[in-house]
Amino acid sequence: MSRLPLDTAHTHVAGASEYIDDRPRVKGEVDVDVLPSPHAHARIKAIRTAKALAVPGVLAIYTAKDFHTNHWGTIFKDQPLLADDKVQYVGEIVAVIAAENRQAARDARALIEVDYEVLPAILSVSEAIRQKSFIASKRHITRGDVERALHTAPLKLEGKIVIRGQDHFYLESQASIVYPKEDGQLEVHTSAQHPTEVQHVVAHGLGLPASDVVTIVKRMGGGFGGKESQAAPFAAYAALAATRLKRPARIVLSKDDDMVMTGKRNPFENRYRVGFDAEGNLLALDVELYSDAGAYADLSTSIMERAMLHSDNAYYIPNFRVTGQVCKTNHHSHTAFRGFGGPKGVATVEKVIEAVAHRLKKDPLEVRMRNVYSADRDSPLGGTCDVTPYGQKVENNCLPRLFHDLSRSSAYSEARARVERENRATLARGPGGKLLGLSLTPVKFGISFTTRFLNQANALVIIHRDGTLQVSTGATEMGQGVNARIAETVASELGLERARVRMMPTSTEKNANTSPTAASSGTDLNAAAALLATRKIKARLSQLAVQLLELPEARWAKNTAGLGTEAELLAPGLGRETNDPNEGADWPTGIAEYAGVVFEDGFVYARGKPEKRLSFADVVNEAYLNRLSLSDYAHYRIPNLSFDKLKGQGDAFMYFTQGTQVSEVALDRDTGEVKVMRSEILMDLGRPINAALDEGQVSGAFVQGMGWVTTEKLYYNERGALLSHSPSTYKIPSVQDTPREFKITLLSNDENYANVRGTKAVGEPPLLLAVGVWTAIADALRQLPHYRDAYPEIELPATQEVVLEAMEPARFAKWREASARKPKR
Amino acid sequence: MRTAAVLYLNGRRVVVPPEQSGMMLSDFLRYERSLVGTKVVCAEGDCGACSVLRYVPSAKKEVRYLPINSCIITVGQCDGTSLVTVDALAKDEALSPVQSAMVNAHGSQCGFCTPGFVVALTGLVEKKLCAGVRSGACSAREAKNATTGNLCRCTGYQPIIDAATAIDLAKCESVAARYFSKPQAADLRKIRAEALRIETDAISFFAPRKIADAAKALAKDPEWRLLGAATDLGVAVNKGKTRLPKILSLHLVDELYAVKATAKRVTVGARVTLSELRHAVMDRVPEFARFLDLFASPQIKNSATLVGNVANASPIGDTPPFLLVAGAVLHVVGPRAKRKIPLEKFYLGYRRTALKRGELIAAIEFDVPAATESLALFKTSQRKDLDISAVNAAFRIEWANRERTKIKSARIAFGGVAATPIRGFAAEKALAGKTPTPETLESALGALHGAITPMTDLRGTSAFRRVLVENLFAKFFREHSPSSAVGNGASAPR
Repeated sequence: MSRLPLDTAHTHVAGASEYIDDRPRVKGEVDVDVLPSPHAHARIKAIRTAKALAVPGVLAIYTAKDFHTNHWGTIFKDQPLLADDKVQYVGEIVAVIAAENRQAARDARALIEVDYEVLPAILSVSEAIRQKSFIASKRHITRGDVERALHTAPLKLEGKIVIRGQDHFYLESQASIVYPKEDGQLEVHTSAQHPTEVQHVVAHGLGLPASDVVTIVKRMGGGFGGKESQAAPFAAYAALAATRLKRPARIVLSKDDDMVMTGKRNPFENRYRVGFDAEGNLLALDVELYSDAGAYADLSTSIMERAMLHSDNAYYIPNFRVTGQVCKTNHHSHTAFRGFGGPKGVATVEKVIEAVAHRLKKDPLEVRMRNVYSADRDSPLGGTCDVTPYGQKVENNCLPRLFHDLSRSSAYSEARARVERENRATLARGPGGKLLGLSLTPVKFGISFTTRFLNQANALVIIHRDGTLQVSTGATEMGQGVNARIAETVASELGLERARVRMMPTSTEKNANTSPTAASSGTDLNAAAALLATRKIKARLSQLAVQLLELPEARWAKNTAGLGTEAELLAPGLGRETNDPNEGADWPTGIAEYAGVVFEDGFVYARGKPEKRLSFADVVNEAYLNRLSLSDYAHYRIPNLSFDKLKGQGDAFMYFTQGTQVSEVALDRDTGEVKVMRSEILMDLGRPINAALDEGQVSGAFVQGMGWVTTEKLYYNERGALLSHSPSTYKIPSVQDTPREFKITLLSNDENYANVRGTKAVGEPPLLLAVGVWTAIADALRQLPHYRDAYPEIELPATQEVVLEAMEPARFAKWREASARKPKR
Repeated sequence: MRTAAVLYLNGRRVVVPPEQSGMMLSDFLRYERSLVGTKVVCAEGDCGACSVLRYVPSAKKEVRYLPINSCIITVGQCDGTSLVTVDALAKDEALSPVQSAMVNAHGSQCGFCTPGFVVALTGLVEKKLCAGVRSGACSAREAKNATTGNLCRCTGYQPIIDAATAIDLAKCESVAARYFSKPQAADLRKIRAEALRIETDAISFFAPRKIADAAKALAKDPEWRLLGAATDLGVAVNKGKTRLPKILSLHLVDELYAVKATAKRVTVGARVTLSELRHAVMDRVPEFARFLDLFASPQIKNSATLVGNVANASPIGDTPPFLLVAGAVLHVVGPRAKRKIPLEKFYLGYRRTALKRGELIAAIEFDVPAATESLALFKTSQRKDLDISAVNAAFRIEWANRERTKIKSARIAFGGVAATPIRGFAAEKALAGKTPTPETLESALGALHGAITPMTDLRGTSAFRRVLVENLFAKFFREHSPSSAVGNGASAPR
């Protein structure tokens, strides 16, 4: 385990790291802009481009008919690259403009004339449900007899939760540059999480064989899921211009365009019915999830699956039913965002817990701990309480320990007593002051793509004769440190410093048929593949080293090879394929040993004889001269996945990443402002490759989640246009919003045998912990007298206005009524 | 008359090709000078990725480079100044202490915001070094305040705060020491002593030395667009809402850089930045200085001016409520005459002002409230810092007695509740001469409600704004008048 900085941190801070728009402009390069639809739903009757084409510098304007195949889509091919007969959301791309410079393209954009016939639009989940505007069919996961259990439960509650979307707000907006090459080939440089999909969409759109399109991703200035599927169409627009004009073409969206045109985290509107007893045991839960997919399917069906698979979160609920229906609306096509549905399932069940605790006048933590997954409790349905509703056993279950350890280390009980005492005093003083809230919440996040075939990766490892390495995988770097982790994994296996390993840009000509860097799985999949490839070479080098250690140096190939006087040394390698990155590895170190040879500190020696050692570079050079391959390639697939999506049963995940957090919030009673005073997080990340990078993922994900549950409000007007499309109106957390006290601790857990080197994935799970900031806000509100009998109904995000209205419902009602009576100014 | 803008960039003299004078500085750096370390994200001065360091020679002796947003300032306006970008902070291959701290504390993930944070923190170090602090470290609070204008989406900020507090000031060399020199100072003085007039097909750019020349030009040709800092107009340009083919910049008019302060009045020239203003009012009007901390980022405050904030006539500008209660008067210069306009007569309607053709604001003067008065300024917004307000407010009470139980006169102003920032004259009248009993406050609040017309927009509903008005009103009297047993929303049914 290391705490090394990111492998590219030193170029980041110097401003020397290259992003798409930092690439030097080459002579003849073309700027590409796009024309968005101003309507949420309209028929396109005519597009006139003459005026726009007359702008000096404008080279071409393309519409739907210019693509060879105009349809794309990750799961369903239901989305046009360019709107054809209809537009279905504000911001849908209608035309592509190519010009000599950005200003000309921008000017032309304003001069393209499109005749629209405006059609009625569906702009909410509830309206979509009413009109039965759905995508795909409803999915189910069921265990036990929910209806009967609800009927017989001593106590029941039902309710709903409204969850809004969230913009990714990656700092680097969507960007691609496409260079035309000889014989119709294209080289696509893009800021994308899924180079393979970009390659496929470009090739498909232009009618090219996949072999003629190379996609290269050096890095992204942030992704968060927003560049998983949605980078592809923009690359295709640039590719279209590059192909037609035979000139390099660059598209770089402005932040405003990016926010209007691209999809967000799916909004959800969920309903629940829960049955429980007086002790707080959850007996039955029925959850109906409805998501807003926007106009096209994109990844929304998979996102819904993950929402369903996380509607249990950390709790064993014997009789359980969750249904999920994706709704089609006239919003931008919503897409992957860190957590991928999980946060919406978790927010729902955590609200259920809070409402149950409020009804029972119990501390919500008590209800949580009473229902947590545990092998030590027997289920009324038989078996133990550590099996999910979809039938997967919760292995390496750290949840009880995470609850126990954090509630003690954070002095939860004392904090609870203090919060209630101070709130009583504040309320007794009259108006003003701060209302405090507290909440300790868990996360259990399933690691693996729920779509089985995505759980594969490949890697290419090259050792050069000087003993330095180049590693290429399908993983894309977006700041999460996947490259640093892969480099550290490979370097440690060979006993080298990380600096000897150079991570190469992700390119589809080296690593093809890859999966998106998503689902927190980048390191799991790609470090495993890289390790398997490294070991193939290591086995050969080990077999060679054994012989070199016995051979006088004068007889080494470097001294004889030119003459051919010595027989070549042979090293057959592993002689077989393996798929297990932990096979043959010593568990504490995760490092495998072959032929009794140790790789350490840049040297190679026979175990037990460190005094007689060879330098790594020498062994490598000898390998070359003995005609042994210094490169290798490996493929890795996650074993034992058996989830049947139609039945809603089976092992969906390789393992679970888990954690708990406790947050204290202060609500300003005059203004509704929310301040997070303290957050403490305890994460189970197995045995991290690089703890510092993992902690950075935890703090980043948590604060991003805080933004989702508090200040980040997407404001659409009544015609479905997003008005909050830049940071002046869309408020992601600033440095001042970081919890005033912010502590992150990693649980010691040496037992995740399922994953490469015993690590656990970290990218998404901590975001779900931020649901606890939202429940903490509700916890503060529920201490107000008017919530004595009913848990506060607040939507997510709990913005300043939501909070103030929850504190002052009567006064808001009065003014809302007054403004409804008055005609609009 | 000079015919090209001249500036220093990373220590070297650069003559700006005339046709590039209207480009945003960030575009100029990235696309004309290949200095791509400076990034552009929002193009509206909200994210700080485009931060660069700038020194504007002035009468002050101190040579201090301050972070500004390069995405909303034209290159022409940087004429006669010295700029340093992120690309020039490392020395040969050695990272600066700020950069090393960011590496070691894992303050950078995707890296796109990183250059901006490095520049902002370098600005903080410059501030410390300039103040003679040459050892120790920066506090977490200083680090947060220095980076309020920088957005990061990856780290959750904590690692950046940790990086900032780990910078060893003893190891820091000032940017000024490295990139500023006596010959450069002399050259800049010479540059700034001569007016600038650029005429190309793409752009006309005029920077006179005298304010009267600016007024004359404006009167003669209304196509000239007057630029102060351009923190607002620059955004409009980037968002395609306007163009600036004819720029009239005041950056060479020396007299506009002055702040004059007496015990009773402060007069602030049109080129005085909000940072300088804050410094000037720190002791005299601490409440206003505190308020300036909440509003805008350091980068904006190092560039934007008080006059700009007033002249832009936004209904939700942050300083007008204070200025309204502080009896602000605008010093207006026209082509033929000067005149003074009280601020309350300045706003005629939504984004409309009393300025006539050829007139520009040379300065604003406002009261220093007496120590015996109560002054409170409020800003409420979705996010506490660096956000446009839903409602902002200023209250100023002159008390009739020492116990603060009787009001002599009251001044109340609000932003965000009407088409312009407004004074609550009727409410003030209802309070004058009265003891702030719940009944008095209720009637004043009623008068206030009658005067405002809050609307529903993306920052909040009209009901939200009404409740905020009530609460801020109640909060002010709760905190400033011991006798008023007023509750939240005194007029509301409980």
